[in-house]
Amino acid sequence: MNLLKPFLNAWQYRELIRAVVRRELAVRFRGTILGWVWAIFGPLVMLSAYTVIFSHAVGVPASAKGASFGSYALSIFVGLIVFNLFSELAYRAPSLLHEHAGVIKKSIFPSETLAWTATIRATVYALISLGVLLIFELLLTFRLPLASLLLPVIAVPFFLFLLGTCWFLMALGSFTRDVAHLMISIVPVLMFATPIFYSIDDVPPHLRIYLHLNLVGNYVEMARDLLILGRCPDLLLFSATVLASLAAFFFAYRFFMQYKAVFVDVI
Amino acid sequence: MSSDIVINCDRVGKAYQLYMHRNDQLKQALLGHWKQFYHQHWVLRDISFKVRRGERIGIIGRNGAGKTTLLQVICGITLPTHGKVKVEGRVAPILALGAGFDHELTGRENALIGGAILGMRRATVEARLAAIAEFASIGEFFNQPVKLYSSGMTSRLAFAVCAHADADILIIDEALSVGDEAFVSKCDAFIENFAKHGTLLVVSHDLSTLSTLCDRVIWIENGLVRGLGPPDEIILHYRRSIEENPEAALAETL
Repeated sequence: MNLLKPFLNAWQYRELIRAVVRRELAVRFRGTILGWVWAIFGPLVMLSAYTVIFSHAVGVPASAKGASFGSYALSIFVGLIVFNLFSELAYRAPSLLHEHAGVIKKSIFPSETLAWTATIRATVYALISLGVLLIFELLLTFRLPLASLLLPVIAVPFFLFLLGTCWFLMALGSFTRDVAHLMISIVPVLMFATPIFYSIDDVPPHLRIYLHLNLVGNYVEMARDLLILGRCPDLLLFSATVLASLAAFFFAYRFFMQYKAVFVDVI
Repeated sequence: MSSDIVINCDRVGKAYQLYMHRNDQLKQALLGHWKQFYHQHWVLRDISFKVRRGERIGIIGRNGAGKTTLLQVICGITLPTHGKVKVEGRVAPILALGAGFDHELTGRENALIGGAILGMRRATVEARLAAIAEFASIGEFFNQPVKLYSSGMTSRLAFAVCAHADADILIIDEALSVGDEAFVSKCDAFIENFAKHGTLLVVSHDLSTLSTLCDRVIWIENGLVRGLGPPDEIILHYRRSIEENPEAALAETL
């Protein structure tokens, strides 16, 4: 398969993707008085809450002992940004095709672009949270790690992994609505299998290998390395995660395109 | 010349799978290899015809004859079960007016998205917004959310967007009867003008319009081409068939 295909396809429909992303971003806060302030307010409240809670005698895992409470709150927040990005899409993707059934059936709408628009939309909100995080980190520790500049190196494969997740769940979800319900039960479990409130170093060594199967968790750890700890992620972990993400991305695209013409008849 | 053929339907058939129970669809996916859990409903059985550039083709037939499905196949929205469809040039389908509209957005914003779906660049659509608003002639409502529109206004806007899409082939499903007299005559003028360089495919139950508008008419019944030729002749046969057998059952196709 031509590895450029998914990208050429997106480039071909870039105007449509842009128009739909604009719409989704514009509609979200329409009718509210504060508008986009809500996008910043949400993460701000959450991060403040974590900082207060974890600086006041809530049990802190071994790996965070000795570190400042502020940085423990920050590292939880990194985990939540990454995980929420994933979970928002996992919840939404199975019903995406159903939501757009009208336009898919009644006009020449390229349904594969829905994954792009959903992922870009979710990423925009994650970037806002990231901005809040960096400002807090600067206020609490008076410095930003130089390694943060490497963030795109893990953000791009993560983005592709999310796109793949979207395509795969959209395809499955179009056949049966059970997938949406399955996600509602699975994602919270996955949250505990993701090192958000703990670090992978807190886990007994013989169990770590299983946790590494969870790509989202690997991205949490790597983002934490870059943004909070200011060190480069483990190279083996990095390459394995990126390879797995790319494989998921290309597989999901192919899977989606293969069944694309069938969705129309079942949604 | 073969390059003059812009639409070529070659023995097109389309079957839908009808399931008796909701769960059968899942069973089919898992166990379909051994047992069939659906029965097939052939909407289109064997349709063949060619359309040359610049032709105006009307499609007639009773409800459920397969007209809309045929248009969907030609647009590439759904795949034929067997047979081939070849279409050359950019298609602008008007299958359900306003189906793609987001009701929270204004007419202007919907026009931008509608244009993008039809493959137009944003700059192009923006340059034509004035013309689209003028064509739809919905006045101040162009800048209001579509949810405030009357159904006539929604249709007019949808038609206006497609009319400005620079399509090579315009495909219209029963959309010509949406507006009032003034808008209909505007659409007629547009179609007249469009047919000078583009190809037109129209499904309609308005037989008198079709007979003046089209060069040829295709009559579809039970998923087969029952007649194909000059409008007056085909429409006459079609009318006669309806008079003879007004209830010609959908049931027999099931």
